[in-house]
Amino acid sequence: MSKPTSLFVIFFSLFVMSEAVFEDQVGKFDWRQQYVGKTLFAHFDSHSQSSKKLFLATDKNIFASFNSRTGELFWRHVDKAGPEGTIDILLLHGQDALMVVGGGRLLRSWDTNMGGLNWEAVLDTGSFQAACFVAMQDTVKHVAVLKKAGTVRHWFSYLVYSGGEEEVYVLGVVPNSHLTIIAYSLEDGEIIKQRSVEAPWLSSVESSCVVVGHGVLMCVDTATLALYALPIQAEEAPQFNQILLQSLDLEVSPGFQPVLVSSQPHPARSPISEFFLQLGPDHHVLLQLNADGYTIAPLRDFQPAFLVSFSTTGEKTVAAVMTPKNETSDVFPPQLYVHAFLKKDDSVGYRVLVQTQDHALTFIQQPGRVVWTREEALADVVTMEMVDLPLTGTQAELEGEFGKKADGLFPMVLKRLSSQVILLQAWLAHLWKLFYEARKPHGQVKNEVTIETLSRDEFNLQKMMVMVTASGKLFGIDSKSGSILWKHYLENVQPNAVFKLIVQRTTAHFPHPPQCTLLIKDKDTGLASLHVFNPIFGRKSHIAPPALPRPILQSLLLPVIDQDYAKVLLLVDDQYKVTAFPSTKNVLQQLQEMASSIFFYLIRSDQGNLSGFRLRKDLSTERIWEVVLPTEVQKIVAVNGKRPNEHVHSQGRVMGDRSVLYKYLNPNLLAVVTESTDAHPERAFVGVFLVDGVTGRIIHEAVQRKARGPVHFVHSENWVVYEYWNTKSRRNEFSVLELFEGTELYNSTVFSSLDRPHLPQVLQQTYIFPSPITTMEATLTEKGITSRHLLVGLPSGAILSLPKMFLDPRRPEVVTEHSREENLIPYAPEMPIRTEWFINYNQTVARVKGIYTAPSGLESTCLVVAYGLDIYQTRVYPSKQFDVLKDDYDYVLISSVLFALFFATMISKRLAQVKLLNRAWR
Amino acid sequence: MAPPGGQGGGAVSTRGAGARRMKWALELSLGNARGRGDRQSNQGDVMYPIGYSDKSVPDTSIQETDKNLVEKRCWDVALGPLKQIPMNLFIMYMSGNTISIFPIMMVCMMAWRPIQALMSMSATFKLLENSNQQWLQGLAYSVGNLLGSALAIYKCQSMGLLPTHSSDWLAFIEPPQRMEIMGGGMVL
Repeated sequence: MSKPTSLFVIFFSLFVMSEAVFEDQVGKFDWRQQYVGKTLFAHFDSHSQSSKKLFLATDKNIFASFNSRTGELFWRHVDKAGPEGTIDILLLHGQDALMVVGGGRLLRSWDTNMGGLNWEAVLDTGSFQAACFVAMQDTVKHVAVLKKAGTVRHWFSYLVYSGGEEEVYVLGVVPNSHLTIIAYSLEDGEIIKQRSVEAPWLSSVESSCVVVGHGVLMCVDTATLALYALPIQAEEAPQFNQILLQSLDLEVSPGFQPVLVSSQPHPARSPISEFFLQLGPDHHVLLQLNADGYTIAPLRDFQPAFLVSFSTTGEKTVAAVMTPKNETSDVFPPQLYVHAFLKKDDSVGYRVLVQTQDHALTFIQQPGRVVWTREEALADVVTMEMVDLPLTGTQAELEGEFGKKADGLFPMVLKRLSSQVILLQAWLAHLWKLFYEARKPHGQVKNEVTIETLSRDEFNLQKMMVMVTASGKLFGIDSKSGSILWKHYLENVQPNAVFKLIVQRTTAHFPHPPQCTLLIKDKDTGLASLHVFNPIFGRKSHIAPPALPRPILQSLLLPVIDQDYAKVLLLVDDQYKVTAFPSTKNVLQQLQEMASSIFFYLIRSDQGNLSGFRLRKDLSTERIWEVVLPTEVQKIVAVNGKRPNEHVHSQGRVMGDRSVLYKYLNPNLLAVVTESTDAHPERAFVGVFLVDGVTGRIIHEAVQRKARGPVHFVHSENWVVYEYWNTKSRRNEFSVLELFEGTELYNSTVFSSLDRPHLPQVLQQTYIFPSPITTMEATLTEKGITSRHLLVGLPSGAILSLPKMFLDPRRPEVVTEHSREENLIPYAPEMPIRTEWFINYNQTVARVKGIYTAPSGLESTCLVVAYGLDIYQTRVYPSKQFDVLKDDYDYVLISSVLFALFFATMISKRLAQVKLLNRAWR
Repeated sequence: MAPPGGQGGGAVSTRGAGARRMKWALELSLGNARGRGDRQSNQGDVMYPIGYSDKSVPDTSIQETDKNLVEKRCWDVALGPLKQIPMNLFIMYMSGNTISIFPIMMVCMMAWRPIQALMSMSATFKLLENSNQQWLQGLAYSVGNLLGSALAIYKCQSMGLLPTHSSDWLAFIEPPQRMEIMGGGMVL
């Protein structure tokens, strides 16, 4: 009997929860943006004149093709992350894009038209050094790849050169000693000749030498301030020819390493004889190597000029020089790619792709018009927050009315009347706009979102996404459309800096503007700085952040507010002294009053040390507890408290016999995850410690033997869900811990960690999950009434919305009446993955790094942003849309039926009256 | 009680055989047309007015037996709710403990009727005014109704509709106030 019922229960529960996007809902409230990262190599498709393709290889191991007219992505190949997929070089010839991948592991050829893989070859072991095309009789047939294998040659720097003959030259340098030139035959790869040239001044051939003209190696030396020319193909013993820069009337900026730039337009031909010499950060000189191969003639001096580049079309070569217009350009462009083409009238036109320091890609056409800009910094979002949009002017007006102090009855009435008039005006304007727009043809109406028109919608579904990227660029993105509303580049941010974004004041405190604070910590020096800004407009706030002379260890946002409604941020420095921001008198007084109830904890992963501190009245701290997990056994991987904005509606679970099992809702509980240092599959383990952050008491510890990380976990309400790799069974497993206080509450009015004598009851269950995961987060709603789902990012790019109901340690093995009453699904070790649970249907998010959830104004709706390489925004309804009418709700039918009934009632009432009257007369 | 005049009408219609043929007839002759054999009392030579009947009219004053009747009737009213209880028990048994529309309707009826009756108690008392045992009957009536509502409550309880368990009050428990403020994390 139990089997059919259990099946029924499963079936029923699935039926209730099955949810998916309908076809007509695609893209209605979700959007995805695809990024590629910082460009390493870029090529224009010069195969045909009308081609609008652009090929990029990036530091995220992505090979992508763009539409150069719009900046849209044609196709993209995402390789493995990390050194395995690194793109060493990208060479383009005709319709062939050649790529060396993974430090010289693979050689790939792509078809640039469709983006398909032509072929792939595994190269011999060795680290990649250089590669170039090799052409024979004007046809490009070969590619030369130079790799360093073992310790055969003690060279440190290499250059591969081929000038259209049947030889390939490899130049290797033994620093400060000599240069070796080896010529290989194209036929069989045999060494034809090998020569050595004394060059005691040369340390690296890559950074200071180029090939110019008919095989002349041109080098620049900083010490002697001279150019050296050397014919590579010379038969007899060659010698460097020194040309002093002074003789050319050139002067190098002090302390600057001169750089040479040259160009080889076609692999079958020699490089052009003109080349650039960079003499200072903004000083370039165009030089020409004369036909004799020894003398140099300066052609033109460019100052100021930041970047130079060559481009060739047909027989013409364009030298592009980028000069700054104003001195205060904050984004210095490190890379410049030029595409020159012949116009119809045979003049040369060009397009320029500029990669700037903030990872933005800008495409510029000849008259200096910016065609498109791509913010590639968004390929590496570090942290984000969602901020409510401000109220509209009229709403704010009303709010302001209630906010102000009362000043007499009559002025108040006047004020109320005036604000009502304003509301009426706004309403009329809105109606007029609707009417006006309705008359226009449909396509012309566009809802452009700008910062000025931003306002909160009825259900607070549209928010501002504040994203912090690794390059130090901040973005404000509209969550509804995905358009970037503001951006701000923070200069002097180290590449390995740590960011922490804090919302100090929300938009709820009109007329005070919302305020966000970004804590930026330099990993090397340990010093931190604060960037205070308005999250809606991106403007830097005029509030001066405190000076932080000492390295900052952690920050702590208090629920205490100052008189301007900004929450107080405490910064703990390396002497465990606390700095408050804002630190007005009012705040300091409040802090003194509350000091004894403010605690913080610090975890030093390298020492395996967890310690708790209590704030003293003088803003110093005292250590009150310490837990040491020996680092030789296990190391602390991650720690997570509960989210401060999380609400738990129900304080307990209703049992089958209608009693209550109260949840252990300790707001100070921390989940600390450790991994064993021993990686042997038999001895590896994963530990989960539940520690009270105030008292340091270990509430529970769960050790998963024969398990290995990476551990992904979510800590919320009274549960912790974590996922790990089971080394014994070789599978991914989900484990859930739930904490209950029992059938009676110890203290239902206040929760104090210092007064909790009883340990909670802990239940645990484990399930097999059929896929590895990359990240995990739980949904969050306004009041916490809606059931919870786990959002799981899979390596495939899908985001799975897994009902928490499946991860419930009370799932019974044997179905009883009580468990049926509780709607518990019978335990099954396998956790299903249902494709209709993918919230992003086919909009896969490559390399999901994090999922951010935010509540909306609707209890049923949770806003989700998944970020990684791509950014995907959508909404989820874990308990379906119980508080909203459906999209396809038939308003017309319902209202027509209502009206029909109303009129029928009126008419029949009249008829009944007439009839009664007639009867009375009879 | 029929009015005494009605008797006269009856006398009119029964007079003479000829009256059978006509709808009605009035004999105005003074002569003694009737035979001696007539056993009616109008054989004398006294002239009676029309519609006179010498038959005595029944006594309409309240008698002792009527009093008993009222008493009985009042008891009927008073014991009505108690008599319904077995019926209700049967309905309860039949409707079962599942929560669906019919049992709910029945429970509602069962609960609503005694409450309604108790609310209109004054009207019932007016009904019982004539009885000597008015108070006793009133008591019986209210006890019966109370029993009925108790039965309904019991039914609600067995159906699980009464908030008697702690789980029924779960939604009203406020989240406890937190006494300590805590934060921190890994050293940045």
